[in-house]
Amino acid sequence: MAKYVVRRLIQAIPVIIGISVVIYAIMLAAPGGPVQRFANNPKVTNEQRAAFVKSWGLDQPIPVQYCRWIGACDPDHGGIALLRSNGVPNILPANVGGGKNGMLHGDLGFSIDTGQAVSERIGLAALPTLLLAGSALLIWVTLAILLGVFAALKPYSLFDKVATIFSYVGFAVPTFWLGLMLILVFGADLKVLPVSGMTDTRLSPPFGSPAYWTYFGKVPVTAFLDVAKHLILPVITLVVVSIAGDSRFVRASMLEALGQDYVRTARAKGLPGRVVVFRHALRNALLPVVTNIGLEIPFLFSGAIVTESIFSWPGEGRLFINAVNGFDYTILMGILFITAMLTVFANLLADVLYAVVDPRIKY
Amino acid sequence: MTQQTVPPSDPLGSGNPDGAPERAPADYEVELRSLSQSELVWRKFRQHRLALMGLGILVFLILVALIGPLFLPFTPVPPVPDKIVFSGRPPSLGHPFGETGGLQADVLMLVVNGARTSLFLGFTSMAIGVTIGTIVGAIAGYLGGFIDNLLMRLVDVMLSLPLLFVILVVARFFRDAKDNVWSIIIVFGLFSWMGVSRLVRSLFLSIREREFVEAARAVGVSDFRIIFKHILPSALSPVVVVASLLIGANISGEAFVSFLGFGVNPSTPTWGNVLSNALSFIAQGNWWWPLFPGLAIILTVLAVNFVGDGLRDAFDPRSRA
Amino acid sequence: MTEVIDAGVVRGVPPPSDVLLDVRNLKTTFKVLDGLVPAVDGVSFSLKRGETIGIVGESGSGKSVTALTVMRLLDIPPAQIDPRSEVWFDGQEILGIPIDRMRRIRGNDMAMIFQEPLTSLNPVFTVGDQIAEQVRTHKKVSKRAALDRAIESLQLVGIPSPERRIKQYPHEMSGGMRQRVMIAMAISCEPKLLIADEPTTALDVTIQAQILELLKSIQQRTGSALMLITHDLGVVAEMVNNVIVMYTGEIVEQGTVEEVLIEPRAPYTMGLLESIPSVEKRGGRLSAIKGVVPSPFNLPPACRFEPRCPYAWDLCRQVTPALNPVGSGGRLARCHLYSQAGASRLRPALDAHRAALTAGRRMTSNRS
Repeated sequence: MAKYVVRRLIQAIPVIIGISVVIYAIMLAAPGGPVQRFANNPKVTNEQRAAFVKSWGLDQPIPVQYCRWIGACDPDHGGIALLRSNGVPNILPANVGGGKNGMLHGDLGFSIDTGQAVSERIGLAALPTLLLAGSALLIWVTLAILLGVFAALKPYSLFDKVATIFSYVGFAVPTFWLGLMLILVFGADLKVLPVSGMTDTRLSPPFGSPAYWTYFGKVPVTAFLDVAKHLILPVITLVVVSIAGDSRFVRASMLEALGQDYVRTARAKGLPGRVVVFRHALRNALLPVVTNIGLEIPFLFSGAIVTESIFSWPGEGRLFINAVNGFDYTILMGILFITAMLTVFANLLADVLYAVVDPRIKY
Repeated sequence: MTQQTVPPSDPLGSGNPDGAPERAPADYEVELRSLSQSELVWRKFRQHRLALMGLGILVFLILVALIGPLFLPFTPVPPVPDKIVFSGRPPSLGHPFGETGGLQADVLMLVVNGARTSLFLGFTSMAIGVTIGTIVGAIAGYLGGFIDNLLMRLVDVMLSLPLLFVILVVARFFRDAKDNVWSIIIVFGLFSWMGVSRLVRSLFLSIREREFVEAARAVGVSDFRIIFKHILPSALSPVVVVASLLIGANISGEAFVSFLGFGVNPSTPTWGNVLSNALSFIAQGNWWWPLFPGLAIILTVLAVNFVGDGLRDAFDPRSRA
Repeated sequence: MTEVIDAGVVRGVPPPSDVLLDVRNLKTTFKVLDGLVPAVDGVSFSLKRGETIGIVGESGSGKSVTALTVMRLLDIPPAQIDPRSEVWFDGQEILGIPIDRMRRIRGNDMAMIFQEPLTSLNPVFTVGDQIAEQVRTHKKVSKRAALDRAIESLQLVGIPSPERRIKQYPHEMSGGMRQRVMIAMAISCEPKLLIADEPTTALDVTIQAQILELLKSIQQRTGSALMLITHDLGVVAEMVNNVIVMYTGEIVEQGTVEEVLIEPRAPYTMGLLESIPSVEKRGGRLSAIKGVVPSPFNLPPACRFEPRCPYAWDLCRQVTPALNPVGSGGRLARCHLYSQAGASRLRPALDAHRAALTAGRRMTSNRS
């Protein structure tokens, strides 16, 4: 198993390098580059523009720029070198967050917009996104399994047909539209649920700030309930659009498992129906589901940015959209790169997980 | 002991004697007259009720997109301050989909004109994606070796990227162009070819070893000709299925990108743009404004998915005729 | 000794206490897209405690469905069991009892061994887990005791070092081992009736004999009754006292194994025996039953074997034959030859059968 994981990690290296090249190429293709942010600002002089270009190293040749971004060159000399001037390999972790070391050292640079370290801004936005995506994942997987199992137990029953229609529609509903309609109904019309943000800004300091945590420490229950209330609509949005495919998947997998000989054996052993269904059939039916969910985790984050942008959730999605608006290239590249890496590792995790849950598979 | 069992879940007679009665009854083999491939596909497709419905909806939507604007032309109204209203008007006889706030446009007119751009965008970007994907997949699958490896790693890379994010960024580059519909189409096309290329490649790998390709090569037909005249036609059917699903994905994706304000220029009516405008009036509770363009998107995506499902079943030689 | 209680018997009367299983007029049909398929059509037989019975027939003859109906393992629908059918097991009628009570009988008093040991064992649980689970379902014992019982059962079926084996998964074992595990599982609760449905069909020939030998010794040692379902007349000869031959859902012949295999009386059984290749028949013509098994949707109007029967005459196309007694002692055969109308045709038919059996032998002796 360890050998397999190592082999997969080695195979991932060219893909990761490719990802960094493609992301860089996309940013290069941007007309105007980061200076574009000043395009409509008459107050910025040409000298200021030139200084900006120089300070971000945008006047260097493209390979040097790329090399500095990933950090495979000597930071002290600006040239391309895998070895530092003192002979130490230039890919070892350096002081993180210094903005000069490059990605290979775990340094994503500074935000062009605010000057904060990219890792800091991404890190701050990570908790809300994880909270949203995590709770959605938990609910949607549970519901998808329940829906799928009960649909499979009585195929072509009324319940199954309703579930089928639901999943077809859920597949077709655009995430952002569903969010919009929920806001319209629960926020604008009924005014029963908060439709924007993560906390009630009239009661608490902005989420994630040191002041917030002091506030949280003082009234944890109130603060928790406040966040939970704000979570409801975004989570519903994510769950409804994601559940459709998975419940169908569970249903198909469960139907197949229920038709297997070992289920007949389990019944012949005199086991109670629930043991037959939930231990013998479901355990087998979930094997492919586990892999599928592993592969879906990256899409969960795409879904989360869509949802976040509608509900003003202060996570990665909103950070990203703001960065797109403000031509904050370092943030964009950081988020793109981290999300792509997440995908690569989610794929690996899915395969490894499959071997863990299925005793027949040995790598 | 190879007779038809009871019930005939095991036509080959290889498995459980007495025909495993617990399993769902399988299809009886139906004798087929020799029908041509397209006749057979159409015959099976017709029996797929949802697919027929989807096709009907799709044809209707296309007709609306083509003819509708003739009756309800889109006339950009200059934002005259005294014409701007605070809140729209709910559906009425004159305006069955209601009216928007702000410029007080007819929502039906916006949806009809949006259909033109959105459907055009969905179909064209799909065509671009499928073309690129087919070419890349064909080259990789036919040539194999280093080229194949290189192209497939590129596909891995592209699929690892959060595409929606990337599309957002790239679409942003073109936001300020006056008429950027084609830019958006190309962006969506450029980022939707990977699935097709993987599919075409795998089909090529299996087809290129078959006799008729060997025969063509033996008589000295060029590689280019073998790919495009001999192999591609056999790979067409599964590609059509994936293509139909791409249309839905791209229409929905465009709506989102436009919704965020990075897509098609806001002066061009698309379903996403209509929704985007509705967002700023959300507090007024003008439910009809986002509802109808959203339903149009859902209807379109449902229709292409139904058609895709029907085509998949119709192309599947194992499904019943 | 098996005896037939035909459809005429008064219903609802329990059989004598020495009878473990009493199947009366069992009718199971399947609802499929094109209509109703009669899979088992009026089958009656009984099995005494500790005795063995073989059910022989081709695929589709209804032998497995009979067993699955007795175990109540069929899904209803698509299966339907005629409300007049009765199955008495260990003193109670079990087709009518609530499924929950049936569940307590299954695996406990009545256990089944299936054809495919690979697919019949759950791939994600260890074999010890799967056996202990059954024990704990039926007996109030601790987890430890159940595992001990699993080890004991594995020992009984001749699996070496069972303490180690209980921790293995089915895929880590050979086909023969897996079938031993299935048998160990079946006997883990010391059932009164063991049903084995083609237990050796999926195994290598060399393993088949071992498994049959094991089944036989287990049956003798534990004193449970055995119902063996097979298409293989040779297996039947080795294993059981009594035989039922089935064709298109009906019993066509019934008797002791010696009687049925040496002196078959139903034309179908005669044909089956004639088609068995043997050393004596080497070089001779191997006869096969002509034609094919009729489709369940299009059964012949009267005798179902009539289109393939070499001895059929007009009556066979008009009147459905009953299970007629042959001689004395409970032998039965579904054929008009044993009614008064067929009495005159019986002798020529038996002579023809004997001739067909020895045809090969004559030819080889001619050559030598």
